Amino acid sequence: MTEIVERQTEQTRKSFIGQRRTRVEDERLVRGLGRFVDDVDPPRLVHMALVRCPYPRARIVSIDASAARALPGVLEVLLPEDVLERTDPITILRPIPDAPAIMPRALADGEALYEGQPVVSVCAVSRYIAEDAAGLIEVEYEPQPFVVDVLKAIEDDAPILHEHMGTNVVVTNPRGDGDPERGFEESDVVVEDTFSINRVSGLPMETRAILADWTPGVKTLHVRASTQAPHLFRRQLAQSLRLPEADIRVTCDDVGGAFGLKLGIFAEDLLACVHSMDLGRPVKWVEDRMEFFRGATQARESVHQAKLGVSSDGLIVSYTNRYYVDAGAHNSPMGSPMLSSLMFQGPYKFPNGYVERNVVLTNKVPVGAYRGYGQPEGSFVREVLLDRAARKIEMDRLEIRRKNFIRPDDMPWQTIGGAKYDSGDYRACLDMAAETIGYEDVLLRQAEARADGRYVGVGFGCYVEMTGYPGSKFLGKHNAQYGAHEGVVVRANRSGGVDVYTGVPPIGQSTETAFGQVAATVIGLDPGNVRVFAGDTHGTPVNTGSFASRTLIAGSGAIERAGREVREKALRVAAHMLDVPVETLELEDSVITSTQGPRITFEEVALNAFYAHRMPEGELPGLEATAYYDPISNAFAYGTAAAIVEVDPESGEFTLERFLFVHDCGTQVNPLLVEGQLHGGIAQALGAALFEEIVYDQESGQLVNGSMIDYFMPTAADLPRIELGHTEVASPVTPFGVRGIGESGTIPPGAAVANALADALSPFGVDINRLPLTAEYVWRLLAAKQAAR
Amino acid sequence: MTETIETVRVSVKVNGEEAVRDVEPRRQLVDFLRHDLGLTGTHVGCEQGVCGMCTVLFDGEPIKSCLMLAPQADGHEITTVESLNGEELHPLQRAFKEHHGLQCGYCTPAMLMTALALGRRGVPLDREQLEEELAGVLCRCTGYQKIYDAVESYLAETAGSGGTA
Repeated sequence: MTEIVERQTEQTRKSFIGQRRTRVEDERLVRGLGRFVDDVDPPRLVHMALVRCPYPRARIVSIDASAARALPGVLEVLLPEDVLERTDPITILRPIPDAPAIMPRALADGEALYEGQPVVSVCAVSRYIAEDAAGLIEVEYEPQPFVVDVLKAIEDDAPILHEHMGTNVVVTNPRGDGDPERGFEESDVVVEDTFSINRVSGLPMETRAILADWTPGVKTLHVRASTQAPHLFRRQLAQSLRLPEADIRVTCDDVGGAFGLKLGIFAEDLLACVHSMDLGRPVKWVEDRMEFFRGATQARESVHQAKLGVSSDGLIVSYTNRYYVDAGAHNSPMGSPMLSSLMFQGPYKFPNGYVERNVVLTNKVPVGAYRGYGQPEGSFVREVLLDRAARKIEMDRLEIRRKNFIRPDDMPWQTIGGAKYDSGDYRACLDMAAETIGYEDVLLRQAEARADGRYVGVGFGCYVEMTGYPGSKFLGKHNAQYGAHEGVVVRANRSGGVDVYTGVPPIGQSTETAFGQVAATVIGLDPGNVRVFAGDTHGTPVNTGSFASRTLIAGSGAIERAGREVREKALRVAAHMLDVPVETLELEDSVITSTQGPRITFEEVALNAFYAHRMPEGELPGLEATAYYDPISNAFAYGTAAAIVEVDPESGEFTLERFLFVHDCGTQVNPLLVEGQLHGGIAQALGAALFEEIVYDQESGQLVNGSMIDYFMPTAADLPRIELGHTEVASPVTPFGVRGIGESGTIPPGAAVANALADALSPFGVDINRLPLTAEYVWRLLAAKQAAR
Repeated sequence: MTETIETVRVSVKVNGEEAVRDVEPRRQLVDFLRHDLGLTGTHVGCEQGVCGMCTVLFDGEPIKSCLMLAPQADGHEITTVESLNGEELHPLQRAFKEHHGLQCGYCTPAMLMTALALGRRGVPLDREQLEEELAGVLCRCTGYQKIYDAVESYLAETAGSGGTA
């Protein structure tokens, strides 16, 4: 068993960590009093609208904006030549290793490379008029040869997107160990297939949005942004607008969902700022949903050529996955995802492995980060192949997994992909999932149902998830434009409470509540006496942001350090005030009590620290601390998803009868919030597994389903009741033993459902090799089998 | 500006108070509520009547306020999330908080308005019916489960009280 290591704080006081607490954020949000970007209408506000390229690729021959400029209410039209000289390309936050950066510009530079790329920008007194004006702008395009299919894009005669590169393959990143080919020769059974993963959208309910407000003369650009990382946003704006950072303030009060999609700045952000700087007025741009499907980063699309060799007794001998991931037309700040490679091994150990990532350009919307960041894709491919191998050697699917799991006493475990697993009991989650879902009973029911002409199946998907980063040095080696750490300011106020300042903005992840629980525990207050102020670059320490399942890992470390400093200083000041030795003091429930009898409130101590009227010799005024925490390693979350389906082989339609998810995220700071994170991630995974797919027409290169009515995001009526279970092995490498939880839910559901379908249809010998699992797809698989008979 | 934009007078009772404004005939009702009246609790998500973020009550019935023009609301009554607000949370708001029925909070006002109307209707709903009723508002954070729990508990609480709780 993994040892639960000693904690960084010896916690003997009252702890709020682990409590199921309702959220402080809710007080404003349930009243509709959150402050999202579009909720702020400053005086003299004007609005931006864009002209976007309607072709997958086109040269811009000429632009006539005269009618737009003549329209009453129009204040400015920006053509490419107006902004390209004045702005620098957008920097890449997470560059692709060994690859050239293909940085986006504010407007298309001579040629637009995807349907939806901004070509002209208009500012007017209302959004209505700005859109009218955009409609009056005549752009003459010369359509160019394009490619929207990732495998066609790597063919020799494919049109090259960026001619100076000479290829559409941005980079090939290989990684391996052992001798995979020999491993396949030595295997008793080898299964292989090509898997297609769908292009999907993270689809936050609030689209991208910005309010840029430049004050001429004073030279301050106050930006309200809908972003996951205000401090990174500020830095990128400074770079592309050629401004000193001091001129820029980024405020992020509430974000209506982000999911990886709101990382970094985009062309529209630069344009709004340029308009504001030209006009000296606040400029708002709120993306409409039609723009969203043509401009906001998309995700996941990839083709995986994978091969798995096993021995007749069920041991994995060799596993390889060469995959092609669609990057779209250029880099996004966070694309393309890295973790299909790093985490390709999953929870299994095997001697021979190889994974190769090929990043490929196509004439489509750029791909960015989306919750899971490559892990759902890699997990799907591996888990589906493993089930196939089990069927071939006639071994139970749980048994083959149990045989190959990395065991708790193997940890720490260095993977072929380059990860170092910290701890975990993978089998415990699988066993709990099998027991809860009633595996043996389902198999019995399956046999009965088949006799009855009905097709029931059960499937599992296991995962290990990288959460957080293994430290800033690691990111430095990858040339990332940020660190792995978080920093906070913890400051006592004069009412006896504590204010916590963090650059992590509220995006729905409940940071205010969770950070409050940690701070209250460390200092010795009730959480009700802690307020978290988040997301404003004026007043929060420079930090990284909310992504990569890292916020609580790094943030709790920073709070632990800063909180401890505040607590220790409070005790020193109290000792002086009470004239007792500091060792006799304990702070709990806002009261400092000496074992010798005297007591004093935290409020009195804080007030005195600010007055500095009665301080110990050499002690500085104030009661606050700034601290950073840089993680020492990743923590790896893990678990098993299980699904039961019943399929109608006539139509291909199926129902997801049960869905279960058993996981381990280490110490749970707040189980209520953990459940919420899982539900949300699972819903997104099931959406991508069952319904969602962004489709481009191969002939015309056009986006086919770019609206809410055509893109099937699940509603309340589309999802099964989600059952949850958990184990709790504290991570030895993080403060408080936490593992990240934000992304777990997205990873194994697709595999579990696909494996359940394959199980249900095993009499037909159907092999599943793509997502989404639509009724049409299932029907086609069955029809092909029948035609072959 | 040289030309005068044509406007029409719109008189609406919003959360019990009369509001009168001169607006462009094409002004969307949701923009009227948010940007002319400053009631920003109602949100916008797709402007084509699919996502439901802009759901408000129109003469007591939930509608999507992005699909209605402000002049069409002339003479009618609109209820928005702000109608629930006081020092203490409304029982419906409390149910959402207690059940963790929200994360980013963007869809929450629309969910609340939908649930408020269900409570006032007072017709018992089974699980499937309730899911269908809630399907008019999308949520990307919660997977709906805790929203469902919150609404179910609220409806149980208000059963027999005509939704006045």
